[in-house]
Amino acid sequence: MTNPFEHRRPTELEDKAHAEAVRHFTEHLKQFPASRAAVERLERDADKIALAANRAAAKPTPKENIIQADDGAQWHKSVDLMENIYFCHRPISYGAEYAVVEHFPAGGMNEIWNRGWNACEVLNSFTQGQRQALQVWTEDLTAQVQEFLSEKFPGQDLSRVADAFVHKCTTQSVSQKHSHNYSHEQKHNRGMRI
Amino acid sequence: METIPKNEAPDEAPTIPKPPERLAYSIQEAADMLGVNYFSVYRLIQRGKLKPCRALRGKLLVPRTELLKLLATE
Repeated sequence: MTNPFEHRRPTELEDKAHAEAVRHFTEHLKQFPASRAAVERLERDADKIALAANRAAAKPTPKENIIQADDGAQWHKSVDLMENIYFCHRPISYGAEYAVVEHFPAGGMNEIWNRGWNACEVLNSFTQGQRQALQVWTEDLTAQVQEFLSEKFPGQDLSRVADAFVHKCTTQSVSQKHSHNYSHEQKHNRGMRI
Repeated sequence: METIPKNEAPDEAPTIPKPPERLAYSIQEAADMLGVNYFSVYRLIQRGKLKPCRALRGKLLVPRTELLKLLATE
């Protein structure tokens, strides 16, 4: 998607509507770029993460990094992928099995996303799912912005504003503040760093 | 013969009727209720763990029943 305001400057009404949308959807503007950056990092570092998980599988795991997942088995956290999502392994008789496990604070459960014998494949499959989830988010955000604008400015064609807003949200980089929080969070997580 | 129910004081203020239960919630409300961020809700939708419905213009809503089902399975 390109920014429609690049070709023709926004009108006064479009400017006003855009500012209203930015105010109303602040949280999306903060969270989407951070989530997208996290997915891009996973894609970029997939090989390193898989290698780190392989290495972790060859070593004993500290007790505090062992979790019980919804399959009833004990999994060893090897790499923190995202907030509350871990790349895990568990020893089996002929090597290791890998899984992406998400922790749900509300229920205290650890749920397995996907699992397999090949760390790279498990990771790639998870990453593809994240891309699809970002796509669901983008489509929903577009619909939300269109609804907001049509309620706030009835009878006006503000489709360019909706497009420009979604473009801004889905392409802008992570803000300094959010980026700082993310690195802070990473520092305090207990899993292995890559 | 009329009787006053045991636990009801006669001079008690009239109770305000509760609003009807919501049938569906926005993504933001669902995220708040589950204690997760927006992306987690979209991930749950992508995985089919939450089945959303669509309001006018295609905006996603999460039915209350879906949230309860998810919490029950957790």
